[in-house]
Amino acid sequence: MTRSLLRIVVCSLLATSVAAPASAQVDLSGMWAPIFHEDQVERIPGPDVGDYAGLPINDALRLRADTWDASLLTLPEHQCKPHPSTYGFRGVGNLRITAEVDDKTQSIIKLHTHIQWQEQRRDIWMDGRPHPPDYAPHTWQGFSTGTWEGNVLVVKTTHLKAGWVRRNGLLITDEATMTERFIRHGNYLTHIYMIEDPNYLTEPLIKTNGFQLTPNPAMQPYPCYPTVEVPREKGDVPSHLPGENPFLEEFAKKHNLPQRGVRGGAETALPEFMATAAEPAPPRPDPPIKKPAPVADNEVHSLHVQGNVWMLHGNGVNAAVQIGDEGVLVVDTMTAGLGEKVVAEIRKLAGNKPIRWVVNTQDDPDHTGGNAKVAEAGESIIAGNFVGQAGQKAANFAKVLTHENVEARLVKVQPALPQQALPTDTFFTDEFEIHFNGEAVQFIHVPNGHSDGDVMVFFRKSDVLVAGDVFNTTSFPVINMEEGGSLNGIVKSLNQILDITVPEDKQEGGTYVIPGHGRLTDEADVVEYRDMMTIIRDRIQNAIDKGMTLEQVKAARLVRDYEGRYGAARGAATADAFVEAAYRSLKK
Amino acid sequence: MTRRIQVVAAAAVLIGSAIVLSAQQGGGRAGGPPAPPPTPQAGAPIDLTGYWVSVVTEDWRWRMVTPPKGDVASVPLNPEGTKVANSWDPATDGSCLAYGAAGLMREPTRLHITWENPQTLKIETDSGVQTRRFVFGGAQPPAQRSLQGYSAAEWEIVGAGGRGAPAGPRRGNLKVTTTMMSGGWLRKNGVPYSENATLTEYYDRFPAPNNEEWFVVTTIVSDPKYLNTDFVTSTHFKKEADGAKWAPKPCKS
Repeated sequence: MTRSLLRIVVCSLLATSVAAPASAQVDLSGMWAPIFHEDQVERIPGPDVGDYAGLPINDALRLRADTWDASLLTLPEHQCKPHPSTYGFRGVGNLRITAEVDDKTQSIIKLHTHIQWQEQRRDIWMDGRPHPPDYAPHTWQGFSTGTWEGNVLVVKTTHLKAGWVRRNGLLITDEATMTERFIRHGNYLTHIYMIEDPNYLTEPLIKTNGFQLTPNPAMQPYPCYPTVEVPREKGDVPSHLPGENPFLEEFAKKHNLPQRGVRGGAETALPEFMATAAEPAPPRPDPPIKKPAPVADNEVHSLHVQGNVWMLHGNGVNAAVQIGDEGVLVVDTMTAGLGEKVVAEIRKLAGNKPIRWVVNTQDDPDHTGGNAKVAEAGESIIAGNFVGQAGQKAANFAKVLTHENVEARLVKVQPALPQQALPTDTFFTDEFEIHFNGEAVQFIHVPNGHSDGDVMVFFRKSDVLVAGDVFNTTSFPVINMEEGGSLNGIVKSLNQILDITVPEDKQEGGTYVIPGHGRLTDEADVVEYRDMMTIIRDRIQNAIDKGMTLEQVKAARLVRDYEGRYGAARGAATADAFVEAAYRSLKK
Repeated sequence: MTRRIQVVAAAAVLIGSAIVLSAQQGGGRAGGPPAPPPTPQAGAPIDLTGYWVSVVTEDWRWRMVTPPKGDVASVPLNPEGTKVANSWDPATDGSCLAYGAAGLMREPTRLHITWENPQTLKIETDSGVQTRRFVFGGAQPPAQRSLQGYSAAEWEIVGAGGRGAPAGPRRGNLKVTTTMMSGGWLRKNGVPYSENATLTEYYDRFPAPNNEEWFVVTTIVSDPKYLNTDFVTSTHFKKEADGAKWAPKPCKS
């Protein structure tokens, strides 16, 4: 009894003196009201079109913003977007900060922020966890981790969706990152944030916000259900053609400001700028964009999407597996070099469950190269005429399913592919469907996008769509004209994806889409890509209508606002190669 | 026996409390003589000296140019303050009244910050050619009001890593309270603050991800004569390597 008490005392002492290294240095929890004593006009009524003053934007973003049309926000798929964390703290609505604490250690696991407008909910992880891999989904609020530097909470955010820094078309890409500092001085909270975007900002954009602790907390719900506000042709995306936005000069004229100043650029934020503001702007070509090279570790990684579906990711290429009691269905098999690793990853996820199906979304070797290895690792239930056609040994391999146009090309590959790599089952209709592992699986032919044989696979119960190469997050699409691809086909395919996807809330989550290359996505990411493809299609079509040659279109750099983000360094998805394919396919 | 345990328990709690107190006070040796207080300059948790430039990414059209008369957007003026703002004479644009302590840090300007002596941090601006002095140690304010007023400064120093955490770098911020101002303008277009105003500022320095150094000053102007509520802004400055771009431009007295 006595010793027990002594132990308790010692333990208490140790706990008092050693524990809680991750505890908050100051208490940030509570309800904070935003102070609008800076940029009030921009933040509450809203910014003017063409006001980029003081912001370190490059020429690519300037073009993006110049061609932005506010009518875009009336599209149903844009209506319920919340502010991203790169803007939300400047917006309207109270901010509530709460802490989630580990009961045993009293360490803070995470801080949670909630801003009323569009219910911007955000977690700031304080428990030292790493940021997710680059193929994980991006969200409006991103993935945030926090640390204390003295009394200052420092937050680093990655995995952001393409968002904005000002609500007049000053957008940022999904490669942007943010570093924030939350500093409490009495009942005032100063929020400092720095945004870096290698594609659109020439230097970090720094801004600050003020909040005041409020004694009368109020937080209302903010439901949002999109509806058709403006009847339009399906797939229309409002935008201005380059050089044809009639509203760009209004802001400067209205406020008697130097036109060169409101066009933005890092130099416009410095005290000495006004001395030369009236002079013509010197040419300012964008400096080369510096970005880390994509990770190619020659490994296959898996990520559980939802339901029965996992995404496989290797060297930037994606595949998918659906796993259940009936076995495994594999969508695409990556390169030949990764085939064995695809099988190994499937075994890790599915154990000895048999691989029954291999499905190819198209015929490129980075999606079919592993067919033989994966099919060899599988087995089929066969009977009847099929045994007569293929022989009993066909049961030793998984079935390979695809559209007949894909099969037609795979059988012509030289040197010839092994038999087990070739399709055993094909379809020629718009859709083929099976029921497997307790859910309907639809194979949807999307013709003339990347090629004439593209197949999307939709797992209805799991609510996951595998898009193949009609959609990717790493580059412009490869339009394989020799195989029937076209820009209009890509646009149509993307709209077809949007017909299938349903976001869970605030244009996020719900149906997940596995692209042919890049990270896991949801509807909002497809919308971003669809908008880009439509805007580019409209620009190039307009150039064709004006009689511009391919060389003139290339020289006009009509896609330079997207080049930094989506222009591949080499191959068929460079800006030049994409523009050429787009031009030729629209000219047809 | 029971009494002995009570003594041990009490001692343990006391020791624990002492450790906590020590950590909160930023360290110190138990049992040793207290260290002599350093001078404010020697004890600075952050170094604000050097050349700094304001980077105007906010309120651009109210800071980089002189706004039109009556454009008081964002400022919580009361009716009296609005009346004064609406009576501004544009011919006075460039007046030194726009460079008083409560408006100075919002000017697009470069700062040169130095220690005038171990008790006084001096801020000079090239825009308007003004000098502010932040005085540590609780000296008496002067009897005369002035454009820059009297600024009492203190370091707000915090522990590095929380209770019981290993000792880390000394951290903190500068707090400055300015009184005895003669009144001036919050903006170039005559948006007023009065001689009754009090200015409270917090200076926080930090590194950017690209290794640049910045500080933000959070500015709170309290003025019962012209403002409905505190006027709160935060203004950021980037460190420059030297004074190569220093370009003094006096205001109109």
